[in-house]
Amino acid sequence: MAIEEINAVGGIKSLGGAKITMLYADSEGKPEKGVAEAERLINTEKVHVLTGCWNSAVTYPTTAVAERYGIPFIVPVSVADKITEQGFKTVFRIAAKDSWWTRDQFVFLSDLQKEFNAKVSTLAFVYENGDWGKGFAGGWKKLAEKGGYKVLLDEPYPSTATDMSPLVQKIKRANPDVLLLVSNAADAILLTNTMAEYKVKPKAIIASGGGHADPSFLKAVGKNGQYLFDIVEWETDVNKPGVKEINQKFKSKYDYNLAGESVDAYIAMYVMADALERAKSLDPKAIRDALAKTKLTKGPAMIASYDAIEFDETGQNKYAALVMVQINDIGKGMERISVWPKGARRAGYKPLFPVPVR
Amino acid sequence: MWFIVEDLINGILMGAIYGLTALGLTVIFGVLKVINFAHGSLLMVGMFVAYWAVTLSGLHPYLALILVIPFMFFFGYYLQDIVIKPIFKAEKDVREPITVIIVTTGLWYILDNLTLLIFGPQYRNIQDNPLRGKMLEIGGMFISVPKLWGFSAAILTALAIYWFLQRTRMGRAIRATSLDRDAASLMGIKQYKVYNIAFGIGTAAAGIAGVTLVPFYNVFPSVGVLFDIKGFIIVVLGGLGSISGAILGGMIIGVIESVGPQFMTATWTEGIVYALFLLVLFVKPSGLFGVRYDW
Repeated sequence: MAIEEINAVGGIKSLGGAKITMLYADSEGKPEKGVAEAERLINTEKVHVLTGCWNSAVTYPTTAVAERYGIPFIVPVSVADKITEQGFKTVFRIAAKDSWWTRDQFVFLSDLQKEFNAKVSTLAFVYENGDWGKGFAGGWKKLAEKGGYKVLLDEPYPSTATDMSPLVQKIKRANPDVLLLVSNAADAILLTNTMAEYKVKPKAIIASGGGHADPSFLKAVGKNGQYLFDIVEWETDVNKPGVKEINQKFKSKYDYNLAGESVDAYIAMYVMADALERAKSLDPKAIRDALAKTKLTKGPAMIASYDAIEFDETGQNKYAALVMVQINDIGKGMERISVWPKGARRAGYKPLFPVPVR
Repeated sequence: MWFIVEDLINGILMGAIYGLTALGLTVIFGVLKVINFAHGSLLMVGMFVAYWAVTLSGLHPYLALILVIPFMFFFGYYLQDIVIKPIFKAEKDVREPITVIIVTTGLWYILDNLTLLIFGPQYRNIQDNPLRGKMLEIGGMFISVPKLWGFSAAILTALAIYWFLQRTRMGRAIRATSLDRDAASLMGIKQYKVYNIAFGIGTAAAGIAGVTLVPFYNVFPSVGVLFDIKGFIIVVLGGLGSISGAILGGMIIGVIESVGPQFMTATWTEGIVYALFLLVLFVKPSGLFGVRYDW
């Protein structure tokens, strides 16, 4: 959609209105396939810029191919930290990396305390015991130490658990100020409902997307999910110019709402067009240098929740940030309302913290 | 100290419900000598039937039993009659019909995926029912009301099946077949009809378990798998084919799961459950409450 828009307004002007053509190759989610297709695109199709690979596992080896040929590679969504930590010169990532999720949860937590002048001193970590949950918990532990929080509970649990009450009892007895969660879908629902049954009410619960962002979560927990904070890449209600129109257009075209991934991909295309415009050439080296000097602060790409796009020396988008939402009912049933960063907060909404005890 | 009592009660209640989910498995094994891998899927079907019965009619969840029990009984009866019986007949000279186990595995996949196709992967639960989220508060102790109902349902179901097997003519025929199906056939018992009925009873038990879970649990197409694994452990623990063993085995698992996490992480508790499972297999393969000899 971004490419169509760019071409419709005259393509790349510095290259005589050149139109951008997209070539698709399917990695099938397999790393070896991604590498082979990247080779083909570079050698046979002679592309000037590569982008894509949803899966981090595919993106990681594929970026190595691009680096070898010196072709710029824009990574919209793959989040594994290591992608931009290979010392590559041609890799640029739009999305916030994995470790920034936990970073932003803690930044949010301290912003929250400042805004509401309320003190949080104790935390509890409860997370699913897979790679994902453990990765988050590792980040939390370091950040809690740095932030001077006391961790009362550090509890991995199996996502397949059929009874959450023992876990909820443990949370209740630990009685933390703030509870941090990583859950898959079924357990997120069960945990939320069981906590409501046992009347567990910390000052705030901060979840990490995944199960808490699952479309069936809101419906399945109803009132029990009220006031929960959840971190995501992007939300359709972020208070930025153009979001409504672009989402409207996207929805009529593809029949579903924009999500974090589609926004990152959309932004990636505008970043690329901007770099091409400044490079005034199709030489991969010139494009790379232009990308490295990206300083995008306006245009459709600014539907992002943050205010500028610039790459650091590793090729990571410096300003990429996540969005924190609060689940609440403001007259239209339970919904996810963007509250942080403040620049993206839904107009007229003030988050509730510490959450009221019903 | 009080919290241990609280956890113990929760463990016993939840454990009895686990036992109920495994009851059908043990009945079917006792009679057909077949491990029914589709049992979790039957539980899932039971949950979906209960979910729709309650959602569409607005009945009290346990009143849905009036619909669920006969539906599930005949579902199981005809499943055995149409799908499994022909395999049994083809393998009638074999003592332990392995092919039937494979057929039940196929059934598991078919049922799960069919449900996925029809209802989608969403997690459902009944928002408005008189049991949802209800808690008994006794001096700071919380006891879940829907689990208390589930516990009663488990005990009553186990007693009813036990009574049926011991006291009725059909029950005696079922027991005779399970002891020696050839001798029973010689005495004029219709072996396949007995199988149909036993499968029907097992499926109906899964349906009852579904009803007890619906007030506080999520309903989704792959829910059976979660209880399936637990069911196998319980049945082995309590003794394959033993009805009281299933309920007691369930309670043991429930108590470990409920009290354990207070002293270690919940991940370790799962480890203990599996370790106990292996220990029982090594030391007393017939199960804690099973009979030594093969009947």
